[in-house]
Amino acid sequence: MNPEDLKYTEAHEWIGFQKGAYVVGITDFAQEQLGEITHVDLPEVGAKAQQGDPVAAVDSVKAWSEVYAPVSGIVVAVNEALENEPERVNKDPYGAGWFFKMGDVNVADLDALMDAAAYREFLNKQDH
Amino acid sequence: MRRTPLFDEYAACGAKITDFHGWSLPIQFSGIIAEHQHTRRRAGLFDCSHMGEFILRGDAAIRAFDRMVISDMVSLKPGRCRYTAILNDRGSIVDDCVGLRLAADELYLVTNAGPLKRLAALLGGPGVENVSDATAKLDLQGPASRQVLLDIGLRDIASLGYWTGRRCAWKGKELIATRAGYTGELGYELFTPAEHASALWRALIAHPAVLPCGLGARDTLRMEMCYPLYGQDITEDTTPLEAGMDRFIAWESEFPGKAALLAQRDGGCARRLTPIVSDTRQAPRHGFEVRHNGEPVGVVTSGGFGPSVERGIGLAYVPPAFAAPGTRLTVGPRAVPVTTAEAPVYRHGTCRMRFEE
Repeated sequence: MNPEDLKYTEAHEWIGFQKGAYVVGITDFAQEQLGEITHVDLPEVGAKAQQGDPVAAVDSVKAWSEVYAPVSGIVVAVNEALENEPERVNKDPYGAGWFFKMGDVNVADLDALMDAAAYREFLNKQDH
Repeated sequence: MRRTPLFDEYAACGAKITDFHGWSLPIQFSGIIAEHQHTRRRAGLFDCSHMGEFILRGDAAIRAFDRMVISDMVSLKPGRCRYTAILNDRGSIVDDCVGLRLAADELYLVTNAGPLKRLAALLGGPGVENVSDATAKLDLQGPASRQVLLDIGLRDIASLGYWTGRRCAWKGKELIATRAGYTGELGYELFTPAEHASALWRALIAHPAVLPCGLGARDTLRMEMCYPLYGQDITEDTTPLEAGMDRFIAWESEFPGKAALLAQRDGGCARRLTPIVSDTRQAPRHGFEVRHNGEPVGVVTSGGFGPSVERGIGLAYVPPAFAAPGTRLTVGPRAVPVTTAEAPVYRHGTCRMRFEE
C-alpha cells in the first residue's frame, strides 16, 4: 500500500527523500481514481514553486487533475520517461511513475504533511 | 438509483459502475482504451437500456409529432431512420432523438434518458405509447457487428443499410433493429422486450468477437466522430444552428422555436460548436475556457483523450470567427494548445460499409 517512509498531501501527492533529492509523485489511490493515465504535463527543470502551487498535471481517460508542489523548493529533475509511457504512473506510482525531484526544499513544509498512517486514515474518511 | 434489465449481467463482466442521470450504468469493464480499440477493430456491446422509446401509431399521432420537431417526419419512408430534435420557444434543444418509420402508420422513437419525463409529457396523446421501461436497448458496434448478429441467428439484419431499421425475429421473439450508431463504426441497435434482454446479452458476449463496453468508451468513440452529447454539448441553452445541426432543419415546416431559429439564422450565430484537437495527448476538458491570443472566446463542452487519433480532442463553443478549421487556440488553466478541425476527427470509421445481398 502506501510506503511508510513517504509523506502525503490531501491532494494525493507523495514526497520522499531518495538519493539526495526529494522525489514527488501521485499516490496509488490517485492513480486508481484517475484510471488509465494518458498524459503527464511536467514542470520545467529549474522552476521555483511554493508549497501548494500547481506545477504539473495528469490526464486520464476519465479525468484531469493538477499536481501541486508538496513543499516549497526548486524542480531539479523530471521523469522524462512519462512522456512516452504515462502508464508507468498506473503500474508503479511509488517507483517508475515518479513525477519530479525537488531541491533547495523548505524542510519545515514537510511537517504539515501526513505520514502513511495519517494518510490511510484520511482515505478512510474519504470513502463513506 | 435505477437499474436496467441488464444490471445483473454487469458483475460477471467486471464492470465499474457510475451514476448517469440517476441510472447505475457501467463506466467500463476491461478498460476504456481497450474497449474503444476493440470497438474500432471488432465489436463492442453497450447497454443503452436507460434511453427512452415511444411507439407512435396512426397518421394523426405521426403528424402531431411531426409538428413538434425540426425535421419532416411525415415524408420519412418506411424502413428508414431520421435524426431530429424538439425545441423550446427560444429555439433551444429540449431533446434530440432518432425516429424509425416502422410502417406507413407506425413510428418508433428513441430518446435520451435525461429529458425522458419531460418528453413523455410533451408527446403524450392518442396513439402514443411510452415503452421505455419495457424495452432494453443493446448497441453492438464495430466492423464485426454484422457477422456477429448473423452468427447468433439474427438474419433479418442482413438487409439493413445505414440509417435504416426493421422488425426482426430472434429465437422466436420479436425485436426491433436499427443501423444508426454513435461510434462511427458499422453498428446495430437492438430493442428487445426487457425480459429477453439477458438472453440476448449472453448470446452476444459469448461470441469471440464481442467485448462488453461501458459509457467511457462510448464517450471517446463519439468524441472522435464529433457527435454531440445531449446534456453536455447540446442543452436547453443551445440551438441546433449553434450545434451545427443545420442540415436536419426542415425550414418549410412549422415547429416550436422556429421564429427564434429564423431570427438566429438571419442575424447570424454568435457561436458554433467546433471540433478541437490538441497538439499532444493532453486533453481539453468539459468546462475549460477557450482562449485566442490569451483572450477568452469560448468554452469546451466535451473533451478527453482520443485513443484512435492519439491526441486530446473535444468540442467547444467559439464565435464563428474562430471556428474555421486550422485556428490556433488554447484551453484550460494550463493553456493547452489546440487547433480547430473539421468533423469528424477520426476518418476511418466503417459506419457506411455496404454489403452484397
